[in-house]
Amino acid sequence: MKPAPFDYFAPTTLDEVFELLSKYGDDARVIAGGQSLVPMLALRLARPEVLIDLNRIPSLAGISEDGGTLRIGAMTRQARALASDVIRNRLPLLHQALWNVGHPPTRARGTLGGSISHADPAAETPMVMMAYNASMVIAGKDNERIVEAGDFTLGTFETCLEDGEILKEIIVDAPRSDEGIGFAELSRRRGDFAMVSAAARLRLNADGTCADAHLIIGAVAPVPLRCDAVAQALVGTEPTEQRLREAVGLIDLDSFSFDNPEVSLAYRRHIAPTLAFRALAQAAGKASGLHT
Amino acid sequence: MAIGKPFVRVEDERFLRGEGRFTADYALPHMVEAHVLRSPYAHAEIRSISTDQALALPGVHAVFTGDDLPSDLPPIQCRIPTHGDLSAYLQFPFARGKVRYVGEPLALIIADTRAIAEDAAELVDVDFEPLTAVTDPSAALTEASAKVHERGNLAGRWGFDLGDVATALDTAAFTASDRFSIQRHSAMPMETRGLLASYDAGRNLLDVYGPTKVVHTNRNMLASMLGMGEAEIRMIEPDVGGSFGARGEFYPEDYLIPFASIRLKRPVRWIEDRVEHFAAINHSRDCVFDVTVAADAEGVITAFDVKLVCDMGSFIRTHGDVVPSHAAASFPGPYRVRNYRIDAMTVMTNKTPTGTYRAPGMFEANFARERAIDRLADRMGLERAELRRRNLIQPEEMPWHVGTESVKRPTIFDSGNFPLIFERATQAFGWSAPFEREVEGWKRGRGMCALVEPSGLGPFEGVRIEVDQHGRVQIFSGSSNQGQGHETILAQIASEILTVPMEKVRVRHGDTGIITFGGGTYASRTAIMGGNAVHAASTGVRQKALGAASRKFGFPIEDLDLREGAIWHGMKNEPLASLGDMARMLMPGNQEILVTPSAGNIPDNDGLVVTSYVRGVSAGAAVFAVHLADVLVDPATGETKVERYMVACDVGRQLNPLIVEGQIIGGVAQGLGGTFLEELSYNEEGQLTTGTFADYLMPNVYDMPPVTSLVFEESPATTNILGVKGVGEVGPSGVAAAVGNAIANALSATSGINTLPLTPQRVIEAIGFEVGA
Amino acid sequence: MNKHRVALTVNDKAVSMLVEPRQSLADALRGELGLMGTHLGCEHGVCGACTIVVDGDAVRGCLMLAVQAEGAEVTTVEGASPAVGLSEIQAALREFHGLQCGFCTPGMVMVLHHLFTENPSPSEDEIREALSGQLCRCTGYQGIMNAAKAVSARHGRLNDQPTQTPPDTTGI
Repeated sequence: MKPAPFDYFAPTTLDEVFELLSKYGDDARVIAGGQSLVPMLALRLARPEVLIDLNRIPSLAGISEDGGTLRIGAMTRQARALASDVIRNRLPLLHQALWNVGHPPTRARGTLGGSISHADPAAETPMVMMAYNASMVIAGKDNERIVEAGDFTLGTFETCLEDGEILKEIIVDAPRSDEGIGFAELSRRRGDFAMVSAAARLRLNADGTCADAHLIIGAVAPVPLRCDAVAQALVGTEPTEQRLREAVGLIDLDSFSFDNPEVSLAYRRHIAPTLAFRALAQAAGKASGLHT
Repeated sequence: MAIGKPFVRVEDERFLRGEGRFTADYALPHMVEAHVLRSPYAHAEIRSISTDQALALPGVHAVFTGDDLPSDLPPIQCRIPTHGDLSAYLQFPFARGKVRYVGEPLALIIADTRAIAEDAAELVDVDFEPLTAVTDPSAALTEASAKVHERGNLAGRWGFDLGDVATALDTAAFTASDRFSIQRHSAMPMETRGLLASYDAGRNLLDVYGPTKVVHTNRNMLASMLGMGEAEIRMIEPDVGGSFGARGEFYPEDYLIPFASIRLKRPVRWIEDRVEHFAAINHSRDCVFDVTVAADAEGVITAFDVKLVCDMGSFIRTHGDVVPSHAAASFPGPYRVRNYRIDAMTVMTNKTPTGTYRAPGMFEANFARERAIDRLADRMGLERAELRRRNLIQPEEMPWHVGTESVKRPTIFDSGNFPLIFERATQAFGWSAPFEREVEGWKRGRGMCALVEPSGLGPFEGVRIEVDQHGRVQIFSGSSNQGQGHETILAQIASEILTVPMEKVRVRHGDTGIITFGGGTYASRTAIMGGNAVHAASTGVRQKALGAASRKFGFPIEDLDLREGAIWHGMKNEPLASLGDMARMLMPGNQEILVTPSAGNIPDNDGLVVTSYVRGVSAGAAVFAVHLADVLVDPATGETKVERYMVACDVGRQLNPLIVEGQIIGGVAQGLGGTFLEELSYNEEGQLTTGTFADYLMPNVYDMPPVTSLVFEESPATTNILGVKGVGEVGPSGVAAAVGNAIANALSATSGINTLPLTPQRVIEAIGFEVGA
Repeated sequence: MNKHRVALTVNDKAVSMLVEPRQSLADALRGELGLMGTHLGCEHGVCGACTIVVDGDAVRGCLMLAVQAEGAEVTTVEGASPAVGLSEIQAALREFHGLQCGFCTPGMVMVLHHLFTENPSPSEDEIREALSGQLCRCTGYQGIMNAAKAVSARHGRLNDQPTQTPPDTTGI
């Protein structure tokens, strides 16, 4: 289980990265935290001729807050984000979801940008970014563009990144502080791939009715599923247990597609409403606590 | 007294400091590395293998294929008696003509580094003609099925028919029938296999580092395959990162790596990687039971009627059919059921061959039997423990002859007070205490499994003990050690008998160069067989020292005593001599105690050294155990949490309670893995779909409930002097049964919970579900 | 492929090694520096036997390339062991029978070494989370947990201290 041979570059600026990317084209791959890529190298499932290491570009890592806008460098380690007070206070859904990403030693190296760009359908971070309507800053040799989180992931291990581009930064408008969040996931073993996961945000009006809600379901289809019908059904109503249970009935189960012997499509469809309910109930509970 | 004390283990310090020496830690000058090219197909004709390109790669020394092996090379022999002749299914080191499972060795590449060898493997060109893969044992038995081997896919059909099952079924007041499936999974030790073979051409001597478990047997098999003298090969067991039955058998690589070293006349090292391990090491379990259990109106179980189909994979390996054989022999468990019938079939498929995994056949049979008994109890409206209680074998019925046999040995339970242990176990757990059936929407259930685990099997074990002039005691054991703690427990026995502190006793093992014969480590046997050999040899050393002291000092032997590592006479304040002194006196050529200096030989002066071989007893030593579990089940998702778990068992006598507890708890963890998580799944093409640790899930710290072990020493084994019973396999043996019963109890499920692993999906399926409910 | 010269600090010693880019850091520590305490159980980042401390973080030695360790400070189990005998964590693992075959043990020692460096008295939940990425096939983890809890207790772990552990996302 040794990787096929490759050349290695550790540029210290983004300009160098783009030069290397344009020089080597398809033969090159960038490595971020390496927690998914290195196993693929070892299994020879990935066999680039050239590996371009992003770990020595300081500007790619870090979390900053400017007014209501948070900027998270793509090379920010999952462990750093998890430990960050800014993330815990301003993006609590990301904080909570990160507990489900791998284990401490993989979070120590693994990066947010790496996980999002890897686009594993069972991964938690792309769901969270969708729930926050985050903007993904994509950089290339001569250009920079911004793509909404919902448009970033195109399929299983597939993103809108073009040749020569990397994910540089994630921009999130921090939600109001009276918002509640919830995250529920079922995996066969904690820290492993989810069978179904659900991420929720919910905000209440002063009268206890739902002002705003978001629900994303993961691990059921190539791209995390945004459940706007559920969210819309909740807005303007009081999120009682019964109301939430009714609302999760609106999840579009037909758009689920993952089906394998251990975790069948029918089973995913069966448990998704339960997990969605739990995420929403957590969020509603927290929101109501924040409100009073 | 050293026996029975919870000594911390003597081997721990080196492991904790990172100073253990495992196979991959060994290197020799001019060593080269090996990589095995394996079949990507489950079933295919091999048209040709071209190695030219691989050989041309810089850094590659050789590429061996089947053409390089002697044409008269025999296949790897089965080392255990089988039901019928299975020789048509034995495996050769390289595939011959056809490949029969994904992972079957095709070629061996030798290069400067492992990475180069893997590069070269991609350049070996194999032309295959793919054939239909046989992956389902029931389909394999149909006329239309492709054949894995010429002789047919049904390797064996055999069984037992005791008493009168037909009448018992006809007259039964109650019966329960169901099918129980135990999925393919395996030992998965944390260290993969590895070998370092070093051939000294001038002397025709071969050293092999890396074998374990049964090194003497493996050495003899290798000698016979290579045409070398047995004493010309030395197999040396390094530190070993777990075996659990699978590691240490004679595999194709155990021939190929020494063969390559001989051909190249230089050391060759092969370290299996994890992905190879998944495809190459023995898989296990993988069987289906159809069980009918019958009872009369009073709750006396009157019959077990069983059909067993076991998927053997593509070849019969060194373990033969021991897994279904043990399952069949022990199916009735701890119950006095005299009408027992089993019809067993062993079936060949295009999957990795199978062998034993900790509690082979027992984990499986216990699951099927105990789930069926719960079904029966529910049907009768009889409390589940009560049904078991009414059927336990009574102490006065010991030794109990089941009437079956496995590997040509009758199944006998030597001793035990099953009812006593059963009552203590249920009381300690609080079996009868009422409990909340529901907590925060989760349902709680309680389950148990009663079982008998055989231990201490095998023909013999050997030990040589040497005491040096400084009174240090060296034990050379014929058994081997893969982490169980033998260096500690064997030292404890010698420490006690020779009255020397533990620090002065050292244990070496697993090395054909240190003792002529050795049995090895399997079937929970080392505490019993190795332990009793140490007992015998230590006792011999004691007698030898006392006898020599008697002659030297002129006191009758009965007036002498060995204590504090020295020979004492009567009530004198000073010892006559230390053990070290006696060792010096007994050195060959030493004049100190020779009676006649002119004697032609010096029979007594062969050192304070004793070799003892102790014979095994067919019955071994039977451990009675009860597993008890409380499990929470989420009826919405099928998720489960084991809340608490208890194993109560009678081990006869404990050598080291710390190690006994560790074996039980660790065993439960493996049982939980097999119950909930682990599965070696194949698709229709015969490809293993769970071939990495990302897909094959083993329990992590979050998956472990609190486990209590309740260890009794009520019924010492009658078949060995120490009275010990083996504890290695008690832990996993009853887990699926106890947990499965608890889950069914939680859900009040009258069907389902009969297919392992008990994934959330399967749990939900047991109560039926509707999408979106 | 070209080899790279990598200079780094391992167990407080400056070292330099010549490695192929494809070599993992764990392979290089073993093969180039002879530090055999770092074990490879899977080479794909799941088992945790190869866990080492790099620049203050416990990481998988098999998921870092040796070339990436230029300038890094690395601690292996050899560096986490006293010159003679056992560290407090190591001694507790022995006392509570937290190891059997010993193969996963260096990884366990390293995550606990790292945990206790960061937090001398972690809670039971924090210990469990720290160990969650380490596979042990022998012990069932109970002895390992007990050892770590005992060390924490000796360092004055109080039950009501706040902890940094994952919220339960499963509903109970």
